[in-house]
Amino acid sequence: MGRTLPSITQAFLHEQESFARFRRALRRSDQVALDDLFASARQHLAAAGYAAHALPFETFLLCMLLEEHKEVMRLRQQVEQLFAQKE
Amino acid sequence: MIVAGWLLDVFTHEKANGVVLWLLGDDGQRYRFEQAFPITFYAAGPPERLRALWRFLQSQPEPARLTRTERRDLFSGPLVVLAVEVTHPANLPRLFRQVSQVFPDLTFYDTDIHLALRHTATFGVFPTAHCEIETDMDNQVKAIEPLNTPWELDPAPLPLRILTLELDTNPSHAAPARIIVSYDRCRYLLPLEPAQALIAGLGATLKRYDPDLILTAWGDTWLLPHMLKLWKEHGCPLPLNREPVSDVIHRKEHSYFSYGQIIYRGRQVCLLGRWHIDRYNALLWNDYGLEGVLEMARVTGLPIQDAARLSPGTGISSMQFLTALRRGILIPWHKHQAEYPKTALELLRADMGGIVYQPIPGLHCDVAGIDFVSMYPGIMVRFNISPEVPRSQDDLTPAPGEPGIIPQTLAPLLKRRLEFKSALASLSKWDARRKPYQARASADKWLLVTCFGYLGYKNARFGRIEAHEAITAYGREALLRAKEAAEESDFTVLHMYVDGLWVQKAGCQTVEDFQKLLEATCKRTGLPIALDGIYRWIVFLSSKVDARVPVPNRYFGVFQDGTIKARGIEARRRDTPAFIAETQMQILEILAHAPDANQLQDCLPAVTTLVKKKIASLRAGRVPLEDLLIGQRLSRELEKYRTPSPAARAARQLVRVGKQISPGQRVRFLLTRDRPGVYAWDLPDPPEPRMVDVPRYHELLLRAVQTILEPIAQHYASKKQSGKESFSILQ
Repeated sequence: MGRTLPSITQAFLHEQESFARFRRALRRSDQVALDDLFASARQHLAAAGYAAHALPFETFLLCMLLEEHKEVMRLRQQVEQLFAQKE
Repeated sequence: MIVAGWLLDVFTHEKANGVVLWLLGDDGQRYRFEQAFPITFYAAGPPERLRALWRFLQSQPEPARLTRTERRDLFSGPLVVLAVEVTHPANLPRLFRQVSQVFPDLTFYDTDIHLALRHTATFGVFPTAHCEIETDMDNQVKAIEPLNTPWELDPAPLPLRILTLELDTNPSHAAPARIIVSYDRCRYLLPLEPAQALIAGLGATLKRYDPDLILTAWGDTWLLPHMLKLWKEHGCPLPLNREPVSDVIHRKEHSYFSYGQIIYRGRQVCLLGRWHIDRYNALLWNDYGLEGVLEMARVTGLPIQDAARLSPGTGISSMQFLTALRRGILIPWHKHQAEYPKTALELLRADMGGIVYQPIPGLHCDVAGIDFVSMYPGIMVRFNISPEVPRSQDDLTPAPGEPGIIPQTLAPLLKRRLEFKSALASLSKWDARRKPYQARASADKWLLVTCFGYLGYKNARFGRIEAHEAITAYGREALLRAKEAAEESDFTVLHMYVDGLWVQKAGCQTVEDFQKLLEATCKRTGLPIALDGIYRWIVFLSSKVDARVPVPNRYFGVFQDGTIKARGIEARRRDTPAFIAETQMQILEILAHAPDANQLQDCLPAVTTLVKKKIASLRAGRVPLEDLLIGQRLSRELEKYRTPSPAARAARQLVRVGKQISPGQRVRFLLTRDRPGVYAWDLPDPPEPRMVDVPRYHELLLRAVQTILEPIAQHYASKKQSGKESFSILQ
């Protein structure tokens, strides 16, 4: 049983690999942030695979954005709670 | 004469008149009959070529009856073909070899079907069938009638005579010295030297006891070839066959690629008139044993010795051939359906497997595991997915028209598996039927599972990649509908894996709490779904390389009844040393005593004691060397390793002392302190305990302990509960 196309995990690793030169030229602290972004995209591989988009990197970018927005929502909620406690 | 009994074997050879049947009579006697059994193959092509074939066949010495007839091709419908009926079945392979060489341009059908399958399809008797045979004075079969069907849940047990021959040691490890012979209540040792005494002793036992089944350890790969060699050298015959011919059936060893793994199969020795099964060369013997082999043979129609050695893939194609033979559908010699052309986007959509989600890592309490029941076979049967049936317009709706060849073949098998499952659920723990039912259900399961894979296999005669893709597409749709149903009822979906999902909702702890969700999912998908169980707690692990990345198939947990379920962790991996796997399971068993996740820390002192004890015995050299063995499969030829893995290094040691190692073979070795860091277990000199790399095993052990305890520690840390110090053994 062979597959004609690479799996979504293979596609993801390939995309990540293609940014190796970019990553290398970043500062150490920025490298950590970039790794975080890729790790967050990885949490949605199943959905990205199901989407079957012709350009998977677009989907991966959206995954990163999704996790970033979740973080924003979480922080916003905490800030609001803190304000509420103060008042 | 009319005799009733169980059909043991159907075969043919040069000296037989038609086919030979061996029957275990109800009266305890073993009968040999012969039956005239002409068999037919077909050829299709341009009329002038068929006429040429006709003339060619008439000039051959083998008598063949030729007719022009119409048969059905599964894909192209009715077809005018030349039917070639060969009177003596043993002649067909030779005749067909000539025909296919002279007429390579013709399309041939029904040429390489196992003789036993043809017999099963024609008379309805299958291996081990209980049947009635009417014969004439010359022991020629006049009529044969089955008295039962392969689908009986409790077939009457066969009163088999089983002779067990085991070697005193694994011949690839060291030279064996004795055979352990056992049958009925007898058990004795037979030295391998001197050879003449051995042959005489074994020959006497074979004659006196006349076994139906010779069950061996390393019989295919070593013992029987060794006996045959002695027989040739010393010239004293050994009645291995029950059939009065001397030749046994040999098959060569080979390695092949299946489901992402290299698999090695040793050479095989099959007997005529009785069965030989080598439990180390029988596929899935550990999984289902003799009971499962008998089940395989019953439902597939393949003779016992083939059923024991062949993969479930061959089993399921045999079942498809049976359906085809019974319905007059031609079985092509070679597959000729190519994949339909697709656009890149269509391919992108179609070439996908099941959905494998990324779980939410960490420890979760009160989680329900729910599974679709036999999802892929269920989809094929319920929605009529078959290579020749056009797929329906909408997902998860049956394709219109008659059921295709695949649903026709699978429906009784699926029904049978579900019957076993429901019977097992109602039987008490001590019921004697439990074990055979489990073995049979397991054999059926393998057949059902492989049927799906075989649809996508490039050489499967009735395969079609589009049918394979339709099944995964329906599977994804069903799983997503299940997810939607769960989320609409406010469940959190923690994980999804092809045909199952793990859900959680505050306050839901009992079977009733999840019942509504099951019903809703079943209604939306049209597929049965069942509760696998409710976990007191379950841990989904994250990647060892990057803790932020969850991995789909590594988890462990404890059900409400205290049973442990674990996947992908060290204890479940086949390459983990027994010592480490055992320790990890013992830790889980201790943790399973905690009534809920909040009381896990009460179990920690016991875990600490256990781990300390294990480390102490490792350091003191009290762990048997066997329990430290790592077993790994060679994934390629030895020369093809660029940086040799430990297994490859161990294999090189074996090659150096003249042992043969093929890809797919398991190599067992110890980790040692000196270079090259490994010591192959099958080397002639036994390893010395002081060679063992104790610190390395210590590290492996702690890693296995960490797999279990770290997520629990994190759970407590996140809940800010005291008790973090209890995890100090991790340091």
